[in-house]
Amino acid sequence: MAAFQTTAVSTPRANHWLEPNWAEITAIANETSDVSTYWLKFVDPSMQANYSFKPGQFNMIHLPGFGEAAISISSDSGERDKIGHTIRFVGNVTRAVSRLKVGDVIGLRGPFGTSWPVEEMEGKDIFIASGGIGLPPLRPVIYHIMRNREKYGKVTLLYGARTARDLMYPSEYENWRQAGIDVEVSVDRSDANWPGRVGVVPMWFYQFRIDARKTVVLTCGPEIMIRFVIFEALARRIPLENIYVSLERNMKCGQGSCGHCQLGPYFVCKDGPVFRFDALQPYFNLEEF
Amino acid sequence: MVTPDQIIIELQKISWFRELKPEHLQKIAAISHLRRVAANEVLFREGDSEDNLYIVIEGRIALNIFVPHRGKVRIYTAEPLDVFGWSSVTPIIHQRTAGATAVMDSLVIAIHAEKLRQACDEDHDLGYVVMRRLANIVASRLLVTRLQLLDMFANPESQNVK
Repeated sequence: MAAFQTTAVSTPRANHWLEPNWAEITAIANETSDVSTYWLKFVDPSMQANYSFKPGQFNMIHLPGFGEAAISISSDSGERDKIGHTIRFVGNVTRAVSRLKVGDVIGLRGPFGTSWPVEEMEGKDIFIASGGIGLPPLRPVIYHIMRNREKYGKVTLLYGARTARDLMYPSEYENWRQAGIDVEVSVDRSDANWPGRVGVVPMWFYQFRIDARKTVVLTCGPEIMIRFVIFEALARRIPLENIYVSLERNMKCGQGSCGHCQLGPYFVCKDGPVFRFDALQPYFNLEEF
Repeated sequence: MVTPDQIIIELQKISWFRELKPEHLQKIAAISHLRRVAANEVLFREGDSEDNLYIVIEGRIALNIFVPHRGKVRIYTAEPLDVFGWSSVTPIIHQRTAGATAVMDSLVIAIHAEKLRQACDEDHDLGYVVMRRLANIVASRLLVTRLQLLDMFANPESQNVK
Protein backbone atom coordinates (compact mmCIF):
# COMPACT_ATOMS: atom_id res chain seq x y z
CA MET A 1 0.00 0.00 0.00
CA ALA A 2 3.02 2.27 0.18
CA ALA A 3 2.47 2.66 -3.56
CA PHE A 4 0.00 5.40 -2.65
CA GLN A 5 2.99 7.61 -1.90
CA THR A 6 3.03 9.30 -5.28
CA THR A 7 4.70 12.55 -6.19
CA ALA A 8 1.37 14.21 -5.49
CA VAL A 9 1.93 13.50 -1.82
CA SER A 10 4.24 16.41 -1.32
CA THR A 11 2.02 18.91 -3.08
CA PRO A 12 -0.80 20.36 -0.98
CA ARG A 13 -3.99 20.77 -2.94
CA ALA A 14 -5.34 24.25 -3.46
CA ASN A 15 -8.89 23.10 -2.81
CA HIS A 16 -9.08 20.46 -0.12
CA TRP A 17 -12.77 19.81 -0.79
CA LEU A 18 -12.30 18.93 -4.43
CA GLU A 19 -8.96 17.14 -4.41
CA PRO A 20 -7.49 14.88 -1.77
CA ASN A 21 -4.56 15.84 0.36
CA TRP A 22 -2.29 13.07 1.50
CA ALA A 23 -2.11 11.95 5.07
CA GLU A 24 0.09 9.35 6.72
CA ILE A 25 -1.33 6.71 9.04
CA THR A 26 0.51 7.29 12.33
CA ALA A 27 -1.33 4.72 14.45
CA ILE A 28 -4.08 2.11 14.17
CA ALA A 29 -6.23 1.13 17.14
CA ASN A 30 -8.35 -1.98 16.79
CA GLU A 31 -11.73 -1.21 18.38
CA THR A 32 -13.68 -4.38 17.54
CA SER A 33 -13.29 -7.31 15.17
CA ASP A 34 -14.34 -5.17 12.19
CA VAL A 35 -13.73 -1.61 13.35
CA SER A 36 -10.45 0.25 13.78
CA THR A 37 -9.48 3.83 14.42
CA TYR A 38 -6.91 5.29 12.06
CA TRP A 39 -4.88 8.23 13.30
CA LEU A 40 -3.77 10.39 10.42
CA LYS A 41 -1.42 13.31 9.94
CA PHE A 42 -1.20 15.34 6.76
CA VAL A 43 2.08 14.90 4.98
CA ASP A 44 2.21 18.63 4.40
CA PRO A 45 2.80 20.30 7.80
CA SER A 46 1.04 23.51 6.79
CA MET A 47 -2.04 21.51 5.78
CA GLN A 48 -2.02 19.85 9.20
CA ALA A 49 -1.58 23.17 10.98
CA ASN A 50 -4.43 24.80 9.09
CA TYR A 51 -6.86 21.89 9.08
CA SER A 52 -9.84 22.22 11.39
CA PHE A 53 -13.24 20.58 11.68
CA LYS A 54 -16.33 20.77 13.82
CA PRO A 55 -17.74 17.84 15.81
CA GLY A 56 -20.00 15.78 13.57
CA GLN A 57 -18.29 16.55 10.26
CA PHE A 58 -16.77 13.92 7.99
CA ASN A 59 -13.97 13.49 5.48
CA MET A 60 -13.95 11.64 2.21
CA ILE A 61 -11.22 9.03 2.45
CA HIS A 62 -9.60 8.48 -0.91
CA LEU A 63 -7.74 5.36 -1.99
CA PRO A 64 -6.44 5.39 -5.56
CA GLY A 65 -7.76 2.41 -7.42
CA PHE A 66 -10.57 1.81 -4.94
CA GLY A 67 -12.46 5.08 -4.66
CA GLU A 68 -13.74 7.16 -1.78
CA ALA A 69 -15.75 6.61 1.39
CA ALA A 70 -17.34 9.16 3.68
CA ILE A 71 -16.02 8.66 7.20
CA SER A 72 -16.94 10.72 10.24
CA ILE A 73 -14.12 12.30 12.19
CA SER A 74 -13.97 10.66 15.59
CA SER A 75 -11.16 12.65 17.20
CA ASP A 76 -11.07 15.79 19.30
CA SER A 77 -11.63 18.92 17.22
CA GLY A 78 -9.39 20.78 19.67
CA GLU A 79 -6.47 18.51 18.92
CA ARG A 80 -4.64 19.92 15.91
CA ASP A 81 -1.79 17.48 15.40
CA LYS A 82 -3.74 14.41 14.33
CA ILE A 83 -7.10 13.37 12.90
CA GLY A 84 -8.95 10.21 13.90
CA HIS A 85 -11.33 8.17 11.78
CA THR A 86 -13.07 5.14 13.22
CA ILE A 87 -13.81 2.88 10.28
CA ARG A 88 -15.96 -0.20 9.93
CA PHE A 89 -14.77 -2.49 7.19
CA VAL A 90 -17.91 -3.06 5.17
CA GLY A 91 -17.36 -1.85 1.61
CA ASN A 92 -14.79 -1.92 -1.13
CA VAL A 93 -12.90 1.16 0.06
CA THR A 94 -12.99 0.44 3.78
CA ARG A 95 -11.94 -3.18 3.26
CA ALA A 96 -8.95 -1.84 1.35
CA VAL A 97 -8.26 0.54 4.24
CA SER A 98 -8.23 -2.46 6.57
CA ARG A 99 -5.15 -3.74 4.73
CA LEU A 100 -3.17 -0.53 5.29
CA LYS A 101 -0.42 -0.26 7.85
CA VAL A 102 1.17 2.47 9.92
CA GLY A 103 3.27 4.59 7.58
CA ASP A 104 0.99 4.12 4.59
CA VAL A 105 -0.59 7.19 3.03
CA ILE A 106 -4.19 7.88 2.04
CA GLY A 107 -6.02 10.85 0.60
CA LEU A 108 -8.44 13.05 2.51
CA ARG A 109 -11.00 15.52 1.19
CA GLY A 110 -12.93 17.63 3.61
CA PRO A 111 -14.13 18.38 6.14
CA PHE A 112 -17.70 18.16 4.90
CA GLY A 113 -21.16 18.49 6.31
CA THR A 114 -23.01 20.07 9.16
CA SER A 115 -21.95 19.71 12.77
CA TRP A 116 -23.47 19.10 16.18
CA PRO A 117 -24.70 22.40 17.67
CA VAL A 118 -22.14 22.54 20.47
CA GLU A 119 -22.45 26.30 20.92
CA GLU A 120 -26.24 26.45 20.79
CA MET A 121 -26.34 23.66 23.40
CA GLU A 122 -24.48 25.69 26.01
CA GLY A 123 -26.44 26.01 29.22
CA LYS A 124 -28.58 23.00 28.37
CA ASP A 125 -28.69 19.42 29.59
CA ILE A 126 -27.36 17.09 26.92
CA PHE A 127 -28.72 13.61 26.33
CA ILE A 128 -26.69 11.60 23.84
CA ALA A 129 -28.31 8.38 22.61
CA SER A 130 -26.04 6.34 20.43
CA GLY A 131 -25.70 2.81 19.16
CA GLY A 132 -22.97 0.73 17.57
CA ILE A 133 -20.85 2.60 15.06
CA GLY A 134 -22.94 5.70 15.82
CA LEU A 135 -20.63 6.64 18.68
CA PRO A 136 -17.60 7.74 16.62
CA PRO A 137 -19.39 10.80 15.12
CA LEU A 138 -20.42 11.76 18.65
CA ARG A 139 -17.05 11.30 20.32
CA PRO A 140 -15.86 14.78 19.23
CA VAL A 141 -18.91 16.21 21.03
CA ILE A 142 -17.93 14.33 24.17
CA TYR A 143 -14.41 15.71 23.95
CA HIS A 144 -15.77 19.20 23.37
CA ILE A 145 -18.02 18.92 26.41
CA MET A 146 -15.12 17.61 28.50
CA ARG A 147 -13.03 20.63 27.57
CA ASN A 148 -15.93 23.00 28.25
CA ARG A 149 -17.76 21.09 30.98
CA GLU A 150 -18.81 24.20 32.90
CA LYS A 151 -20.80 25.43 29.91
CA TYR A 152 -23.24 22.52 29.97
CA GLY A 153 -25.76 21.18 32.45
CA LYS A 154 -26.31 17.49 33.09
CA VAL A 155 -24.72 15.36 30.37
CA THR A 156 -25.78 11.77 29.78
CA LEU A 157 -24.42 9.31 27.25
CA LEU A 158 -26.66 6.31 26.66
CA TYR A 159 -24.78 3.94 24.41
CA GLY A 160 -25.70 0.50 23.16
CA ALA A 161 -24.07 -2.18 21.06
CA ARG A 162 -24.85 -5.65 19.85
CA THR A 163 -22.65 -7.36 22.44
CA ALA A 164 -20.04 -6.25 24.96
CA ARG A 165 -17.35 -7.07 22.39
CA ASP A 166 -18.89 -4.57 19.98
CA LEU A 167 -18.70 -1.57 22.28
CA MET A 168 -16.61 1.32 20.95
CA TYR A 169 -13.94 2.95 23.13
CA PRO A 170 -14.71 1.10 26.40
CA SER A 171 -11.36 2.14 27.87
CA GLU A 172 -12.45 5.79 27.70
CA TYR A 173 -15.73 5.53 29.64
CA GLU A 174 -14.10 6.01 33.02
CA ASN A 175 -12.39 9.22 31.85
CA TRP A 176 -15.70 10.48 30.53
CA ARG A 177 -17.37 9.70 33.84
CA GLN A 178 -14.66 11.48 35.75
CA ALA A 179 -15.27 14.50 33.55
CA GLY A 180 -18.85 14.60 34.80
CA ILE A 181 -20.62 12.69 32.06
CA ASP A 182 -23.09 10.02 33.09
CA VAL A 183 -22.13 7.09 30.84
CA GLU A 184 -24.75 4.34 30.64
CA VAL A 185 -24.03 1.32 28.51
CA SER A 186 -26.33 -1.40 27.26
CA VAL A 187 -25.94 -4.43 25.02
CA ASP A 188 -28.59 -6.25 23.01
CA ARG A 189 -27.42 -9.67 24.04
CA SER A 190 -24.91 -11.15 26.42
CA ASP A 191 -23.84 -14.15 28.36
CA ALA A 192 -24.07 -14.33 32.13
CA ASN A 193 -20.75 -12.55 32.68
CA TRP A 194 -21.83 -9.08 31.54
CA PRO A 195 -22.64 -6.96 34.61
CA GLY A 196 -24.38 -4.16 32.72
CA ARG A 197 -27.75 -3.59 31.11
CA VAL A 198 -29.20 -5.93 28.50
CA GLY A 199 -31.92 -4.49 26.30
CA VAL A 200 -32.08 -1.85 23.59
CA VAL A 201 -31.09 1.81 23.77
CA PRO A 202 -34.49 3.48 23.29
CA MET A 203 -36.12 1.45 26.03
CA TRP A 204 -33.83 2.83 28.74
CA PHE A 205 -35.14 6.38 28.47
CA TYR A 206 -37.53 5.74 31.33
CA GLN A 207 -34.54 5.32 33.65
CA PHE A 208 -33.50 8.96 33.32
CA ARG A 209 -34.99 12.15 34.67
CA ILE A 210 -35.10 14.34 31.59
CA ASP A 211 -36.14 17.96 31.90
CA ALA A 212 -37.81 18.52 28.53
CA ARG A 213 -37.55 22.30 28.86
CA LYS A 214 -33.79 22.35 28.86
CA THR A 215 -32.59 19.10 27.30
CA VAL A 216 -31.02 18.71 23.88
CA VAL A 217 -30.99 15.18 22.46
CA LEU A 218 -28.24 14.10 20.06
CA THR A 219 -28.58 10.72 18.42
CA CYS A 220 -26.65 8.64 15.93
CA GLY A 221 -26.74 4.96 15.10
CA PRO A 222 -28.80 2.61 12.97
CA GLU A 223 -31.85 4.41 11.62
CA ILE A 224 -34.19 1.94 13.28
CA MET A 225 -32.63 2.84 16.64
CA ILE A 226 -32.83 6.56 15.88
CA ARG A 227 -36.51 6.21 15.05
CA PHE A 228 -37.33 4.77 18.46
CA VAL A 229 -35.01 7.19 20.27
CA ILE A 230 -37.00 10.01 18.69
CA PHE A 231 -40.30 8.40 19.71
CA GLU A 232 -39.02 8.28 23.28
CA ALA A 233 -37.74 11.86 23.18
CA LEU A 234 -41.04 13.13 21.78
CA ALA A 235 -42.97 11.12 24.37
CA ARG A 236 -41.06 13.14 26.98
CA ARG A 237 -42.16 16.37 25.25
CA ILE A 238 -38.70 17.37 24.09
CA PRO A 239 -39.30 19.96 21.36
CA LEU A 240 -38.51 18.92 17.80
CA GLU A 241 -35.97 21.71 17.53
CA ASN A 242 -34.01 20.30 20.48
CA ILE A 243 -33.46 16.93 18.83
CA TYR A 244 -30.48 16.47 16.50
CA VAL A 245 -29.85 13.44 14.33
CA SER A 246 -26.78 12.37 12.41
CA LEU A 247 -27.76 10.18 9.50
CA GLU A 248 -25.75 7.48 7.85
CA ARG A 249 -26.54 7.33 4.18
CA ASN A 250 -24.69 6.24 1.10
CA MET A 251 -22.56 9.34 0.54
CA LYS A 252 -20.41 9.39 -2.58
CA CYS A 253 -19.46 12.85 -3.77
CA GLY A 254 -19.65 14.86 -0.56
CA GLN A 255 -21.03 17.84 -2.46
CA GLY A 256 -24.70 17.10 -3.05
CA SER A 257 -24.29 16.45 -6.74
CA CYS A 258 -24.52 12.67 -7.18
CA GLY A 259 -27.82 12.09 -5.33
CA HIS A 260 -26.82 8.85 -3.62
CA CYS A 261 -27.59 10.19 -0.18
CA GLN A 262 -30.80 12.05 -0.93
CA LEU A 263 -33.47 12.13 1.75
CA GLY A 264 -36.55 14.06 0.64
CA PRO A 265 -35.25 17.45 -0.47
CA TYR A 266 -31.97 17.00 1.38
CA PHE A 267 -28.60 15.58 0.50
CA VAL A 268 -27.13 14.04 3.64
CA CYS A 269 -23.57 14.88 2.55
CA LYS A 270 -24.30 18.56 1.96
CA ASP A 271 -27.28 19.39 4.16
CA GLY A 272 -26.28 16.88 6.85
CA PRO A 273 -25.15 14.56 8.21
CA VAL A 274 -26.38 16.39 11.32
CA PHE A 275 -29.98 17.55 11.02
CA ARG A 276 -32.27 19.28 13.43
CA PHE A 277 -35.23 16.95 13.67
CA ASP A 278 -37.90 19.50 12.74
CA ALA A 279 -36.35 19.59 9.26
CA LEU A 280 -36.35 15.81 8.95
CA GLN A 281 -39.72 15.06 10.46
CA PRO A 282 -41.81 15.09 7.25
CA TYR A 283 -39.52 12.43 5.76
CA PHE A 284 -38.85 10.42 8.85
CA ASN A 285 -40.50 7.11 9.59
CA LEU A 286 -41.91 6.96 6.07
CA GLU A 287 -41.71 3.56 4.50
CA GLU A 288 -38.93 3.31 1.90
CA PHE A 289 -37.54 6.77 2.69
CA MET B 1 -40.29 -7.58 59.59
CA VAL B 2 -41.39 -5.21 56.87
CA THR B 3 -44.81 -3.71 57.49
CA PRO B 4 -47.48 -3.14 54.82
CA ASP B 5 -46.97 0.61 55.30
CA GLN B 6 -43.30 0.27 54.38
CA ILE B 7 -44.30 -1.70 51.31
CA ILE B 8 -46.78 1.03 50.36
CA ILE B 9 -43.97 3.59 50.58
CA GLU B 10 -41.93 1.47 48.18
CA LEU B 11 -44.89 0.88 45.87
CA GLN B 12 -45.55 4.61 45.69
CA LYS B 13 -42.10 5.14 44.22
CA ILE B 14 -43.45 3.45 41.09
CA SER B 15 -45.44 5.86 38.98
CA TRP B 16 -48.21 3.50 37.93
CA PHE B 17 -49.01 2.52 41.50
CA ARG B 18 -49.74 6.18 42.20
CA GLU B 19 -52.85 5.77 40.04
CA LEU B 20 -54.26 3.31 42.54
CA LYS B 21 -56.68 4.33 45.25
CA PRO B 22 -55.41 3.99 48.84
CA GLU B 23 -57.55 0.90 49.43
CA HIS B 24 -56.09 -0.73 46.34
CA LEU B 25 -52.57 0.01 47.52
CA GLN B 26 -53.47 -1.56 50.87
CA LYS B 27 -54.72 -4.68 49.10
CA ILE B 28 -51.52 -5.03 47.08
CA ALA B 29 -49.32 -4.31 50.08
CA ALA B 30 -51.10 -7.07 52.01
CA ILE B 31 -50.09 -9.65 49.40
CA SER B 32 -46.55 -8.35 48.88
CA HIS B 33 -43.23 -8.60 50.59
CA LEU B 34 -39.86 -6.97 50.18
CA ARG B 35 -36.98 -9.21 49.33
CA ARG B 36 -33.29 -8.41 49.38
CA VAL B 37 -31.23 -10.43 46.96
CA ALA B 38 -27.46 -10.61 46.97
CA ALA B 39 -25.38 -10.38 43.83
CA ASN B 40 -25.53 -13.66 41.88
CA GLU B 41 -28.43 -14.95 43.99
CA VAL B 42 -31.08 -16.75 41.95
CA LEU B 43 -34.65 -15.52 42.40
CA PHE B 44 -36.16 -18.21 40.25
CA ARG B 45 -35.13 -20.71 37.62
CA GLU B 46 -36.63 -21.83 34.36
CA GLY B 47 -39.29 -24.40 35.12
CA ASP B 48 -40.15 -23.03 38.58
CA SER B 49 -43.79 -22.41 39.32
CA GLU B 50 -44.93 -18.86 38.71
CA ASP B 51 -45.52 -17.60 42.21
CA ASN B 52 -44.71 -13.89 42.25
CA LEU B 53 -44.72 -10.78 40.14
CA TYR B 54 -41.60 -8.73 40.91
CA ILE B 55 -40.73 -5.06 40.83
CA VAL B 56 -37.14 -3.88 41.11
CA ILE B 57 -36.62 -1.16 43.70
CA GLU B 58 -32.83 -1.17 43.74
CA GLY B 59 -30.16 -3.00 41.77
CA ARG B 60 -30.34 -5.03 38.60
CA ILE B 61 -31.96 -8.38 37.88
CA ALA B 62 -30.95 -10.42 34.82
CA LEU B 63 -33.34 -12.67 32.96
CA ASN B 64 -31.61 -15.67 31.42
CA ILE B 65 -32.60 -18.55 29.22
CA PHE B 66 -30.47 -21.64 29.10
CA VAL B 67 -29.69 -22.62 25.52
CA PRO B 68 -28.08 -26.03 24.95
CA HIS B 69 -24.51 -25.68 23.68
CA ARG B 70 -24.53 -21.95 24.46
CA GLY B 71 -25.19 -21.86 28.16
CA LYS B 72 -27.13 -19.12 29.87
CA VAL B 73 -28.07 -16.33 27.49
CA ARG B 74 -29.00 -13.06 29.12
CA ILE B 75 -32.03 -11.69 27.34
CA TYR B 76 -32.91 -8.67 29.46
CA THR B 77 -32.02 -6.84 32.62
CA ALA B 78 -34.70 -5.35 34.81
CA GLU B 79 -33.62 -2.02 36.30
CA PRO B 80 -35.18 0.01 39.14
CA LEU B 81 -38.94 0.53 38.65
CA ASP B 82 -39.05 -2.28 36.11
CA VAL B 83 -41.38 -5.25 36.42
CA PHE B 84 -40.38 -8.83 35.75
CA GLY B 85 -42.07 -12.17 36.12
CA TRP B 86 -45.19 -10.60 34.59
CA SER B 87 -46.31 -13.82 32.97
CA SER B 88 -47.18 -15.10 36.45
CA VAL B 89 -50.22 -12.81 36.37
CA THR B 90 -51.37 -14.05 32.97
CA PRO B 91 -50.19 -17.63 33.19
CA ILE B 92 -50.20 -19.74 30.07
CA ILE B 93 -47.39 -22.15 30.69
CA HIS B 94 -47.56 -22.07 34.50
CA GLN B 95 -43.82 -22.41 34.66
CA ARG B 96 -41.08 -19.83 34.48
CA THR B 97 -39.79 -19.57 30.93
CA ALA B 98 -36.68 -17.66 32.01
CA GLY B 99 -34.55 -17.60 35.11
CA ALA B 100 -33.88 -14.48 37.17
CA THR B 101 -30.57 -13.72 38.89
CA ALA B 102 -29.42 -10.62 40.73
CA VAL B 103 -26.52 -9.00 38.90
CA MET B 104 -25.75 -6.89 41.97
CA ASP B 105 -27.19 -6.53 45.45
CA SER B 106 -30.82 -5.69 44.82
CA LEU B 107 -34.14 -4.99 46.49
CA VAL B 108 -37.37 -6.22 44.93
CA ILE B 109 -41.04 -6.23 45.80
CA ALA B 110 -42.62 -9.66 45.33
CA ILE B 111 -46.37 -9.62 44.79
CA HIS B 112 -48.15 -12.92 45.19
CA ALA B 113 -49.38 -13.51 41.66
CA GLU B 114 -52.41 -15.72 42.32
CA LYS B 115 -53.69 -13.43 45.04
CA LEU B 116 -53.19 -10.45 42.76
CA ARG B 117 -55.27 -12.16 40.07
CA GLN B 118 -57.98 -12.87 42.63
CA ALA B 119 -57.93 -9.26 43.81
CA CYS B 120 -58.27 -8.10 40.21
CA ASP B 121 -61.20 -10.48 39.65
CA GLU B 122 -62.94 -9.25 42.76
CA ASP B 123 -62.35 -5.55 42.17
CA HIS B 124 -62.44 -4.62 38.52
CA ASP B 125 -61.31 -1.04 39.15
CA LEU B 126 -58.11 -2.44 40.59
CA GLY B 127 -58.01 -5.09 37.88
CA TYR B 128 -58.32 -2.49 35.12
CA VAL B 129 -55.33 -0.46 36.35
CA VAL B 130 -53.18 -3.52 36.97
CA MET B 131 -53.99 -5.19 33.65
CA ARG B 132 -53.64 -1.96 31.68
CA ARG B 133 -50.20 -1.47 33.16
CA LEU B 134 -49.25 -5.06 32.55
CA ALA B 135 -50.34 -4.63 28.93
CA ASN B 136 -47.96 -1.65 28.67
CA ILE B 137 -45.16 -3.72 30.14
CA VAL B 138 -45.81 -6.59 27.74
CA ALA B 139 -45.96 -4.17 24.80
CA SER B 140 -42.68 -2.63 25.90
CA ARG B 141 -41.03 -6.06 26.16
CA LEU B 142 -42.42 -6.99 22.75
CA LEU B 143 -40.81 -3.89 21.28
CA VAL B 144 -37.48 -4.71 22.94
CA THR B 145 -37.72 -8.24 21.57
CA ARG B 146 -38.52 -6.98 18.07
CA LEU B 147 -35.53 -4.64 18.11
CA GLN B 148 -33.30 -7.42 19.40
CA LEU B 149 -34.63 -9.70 16.66
CA LEU B 150 -33.91 -7.07 14.03
CA ASP B 151 -30.30 -7.21 15.19
CA MET B 152 -30.06 -3.57 14.27
CA PHE B 153 -26.32 -3.26 14.80
CA ALA B 154 -25.53 -6.18 12.51
CA ASN B 155 -26.31 -4.75 9.09
CA PRO B 156 -23.04 -3.12 8.10
CA GLU B 157 -23.77 -2.90 4.40
CA SER B 158 -26.39 -0.27 5.09
CA GLN B 159 -24.03 1.64 7.37
CA ASN B 160 -21.13 2.39 5.06
CA VAL B 161 -20.86 6.01 6.11
CA LYS B 162 -19.25 5.68 9.48
